[in-house]
Amino acid sequence: MTAVIEARGLRKHYHTTPALEDVSFTVGAGRIVGLIGPNGAGKTTALKAILGLTHFQGELRVLGLDPRSRRDELMREVSFIADVAVLPRWLRVAQALDLVEGVHTRFNRARAMEFLRRTDIRMRSRVRELSKGMVTQLHLALTLAIDARLLVLDEPTLGLDLLYRRQFYDTLLNDYFDKERTILVTTHQVEEIENLLTDIIFIDHGRVVLDSPVESLPERYLQLTVTPENTTRARALQPFYEREVFGRVVMIFEGRTSAELAPLGEVRTPSIADLFVAKMESRPRGDQKEAA
Amino acid sequence: MSAPTAISPTERVPVGKAWLTTNPQLRMLHTLVRREFWEHRALWIAPLIVAALLLLSAIWTHGAMQIDVSDSSEWLDPQIKTIVFALGMWALTIPHYLVMILVLNFYLLDCLYAERKDRSILFWKSLPVSDSVTVASKLFVGCVVVPFGTYAIALVTDLLFTAIWDLRALIGHAPELILWDTTAFVKTQVLMFLGLVISILWYSPFMGAFVLASAWVRRNPLMWVTIVPLLLVIVEKVAFGTHYIGRFLSYRGDGIWGDLHMESVVIGSLTGVGRAAIASIPSIYDRVHIAPAFANIDLWLGVIFTIACAYGAARIRRYRDDT
Repeated sequence: MTAVIEARGLRKHYHTTPALEDVSFTVGAGRIVGLIGPNGAGKTTALKAILGLTHFQGELRVLGLDPRSRRDELMREVSFIADVAVLPRWLRVAQALDLVEGVHTRFNRARAMEFLRRTDIRMRSRVRELSKGMVTQLHLALTLAIDARLLVLDEPTLGLDLLYRRQFYDTLLNDYFDKERTILVTTHQVEEIENLLTDIIFIDHGRVVLDSPVESLPERYLQLTVTPENTTRARALQPFYEREVFGRVVMIFEGRTSAELAPLGEVRTPSIADLFVAKMESRPRGDQKEAA
Repeated sequence: MSAPTAISPTERVPVGKAWLTTNPQLRMLHTLVRREFWEHRALWIAPLIVAALLLLSAIWTHGAMQIDVSDSSEWLDPQIKTIVFALGMWALTIPHYLVMILVLNFYLLDCLYAERKDRSILFWKSLPVSDSVTVASKLFVGCVVVPFGTYAIALVTDLLFTAIWDLRALIGHAPELILWDTTAFVKTQVLMFLGLVISILWYSPFMGAFVLASAWVRRNPLMWVTIVPLLLVIVEKVAFGTHYIGRFLSYRGDGIWGDLHMESVVIGSLTGVGRAAIASIPSIYDRVHIAPAFANIDLWLGVIFTIACAYGAARIRRYRDDT
């Protein structure tokens, strides 16, 4: 597996507030990686580092290039939608197509047109005349028509209604993704991308809390809905997270086997959303440092 | 606009002219220039409005045609007519260049500021266009496309204006009023063109500084480029009682034109109008010296300053970290 992104010891401080503290991870080719974390966890900072948009300390290679010094080369093979990226309001849809086609050798106009034909977006419209959902659709049509090796999406569906969000992820998976491409996506709506991801990286307070392929999660994490009489025995096995749902205690364990837990209640693999909440809430939150 | 349903990723839909699609650098330049005209529509609308107003004035004004031909034999002197013709050409270009200066100032101050203001900068930075190419494309539009475009539009305006004038003279049965002198026309146009080239080079530091301000300041670039020099002049005056900065700025305003001995043209033509003794316009032009302007080291120092500003603007855009 060739690494598309290799990050070693990334650090970044905004004045005195740490945004990244010793972040290391590797993203392989052909993976769909979810970078998941609460607001201010450092997700956006990590993405900005990968895209050469911010200063940081540490070692970082994206497609073998250092984004700090070789951003221009990198941008020929990487496309991205940043959460705060807005299409210029004066731009017409037809102009947007001309523009990206004119500057990007890997842009396929016909493909973008095909995405757009499924929407109500008209060629003559200016961005300022489109609804928020349409602007996102346009941006996605432009981005997904670029034959990039790495696609970075930062909260791509922020502010969109459910219908658009579902449509977006379907398009991403069915029409865009293939084994040659790598996608790195951040969101705090974990449930939505659960079934899409091949890998997850949880990040909190600028640190990587969990970094794992989705397929190996069942081996590491188990969720136990404890039958009431077994609560004490279950606690003895040291769950790292525990909560009560409808009067029943649900625990999440790391490194236990089904055989150990099965006698104590109902065992299953936690959903990524459950695991996320468990990981976040089980961390000591003494110092509430919020990164920008 | 129709797209086939099954599209192979390698298939391209051809657009525009072949030479633009085959050479990626040219295609990028062409696209980036178009992009500036899409966003800053004043760049092309303003000169067209000026041209339209000038041509309308050629159609609507009556005064000129009401000269009593019999009484103004002096006006019909061919030398005087040539002077009127040449001065008319200069006069017609003035509105074009005044409007161009105004439009360019706002364009250059806005070109790198607007993308930050409307928060589209990350979209622009997601395209494979480097920061230096971005800045260069904006200065290229400001220093080359718009000035020479304005020159071309002014030239066409001149020709149309003269054509309308002469047509009206013909229709009005006053063929004595027909104005045309090929030598004067060519010489005037050449001088205007060279003057434009010198102007671009000489005033480029202002353009560079404006682009730098546009990339740099957090808000209101116009205020920065007006208040800061003004404050410097005042502070210098108050603190040291000198005015080197003011003198320097004023030199960067009109310092180059002394080299051309332009004043001989202006004075010559102003005092010459109406006098039969005046030499013809072409011979006045011969007194203009172009070469010394290009030999002036300050002209090229200014160009170097402009390049430094562009470099600074590109660096700021590349490493700015507050998006």
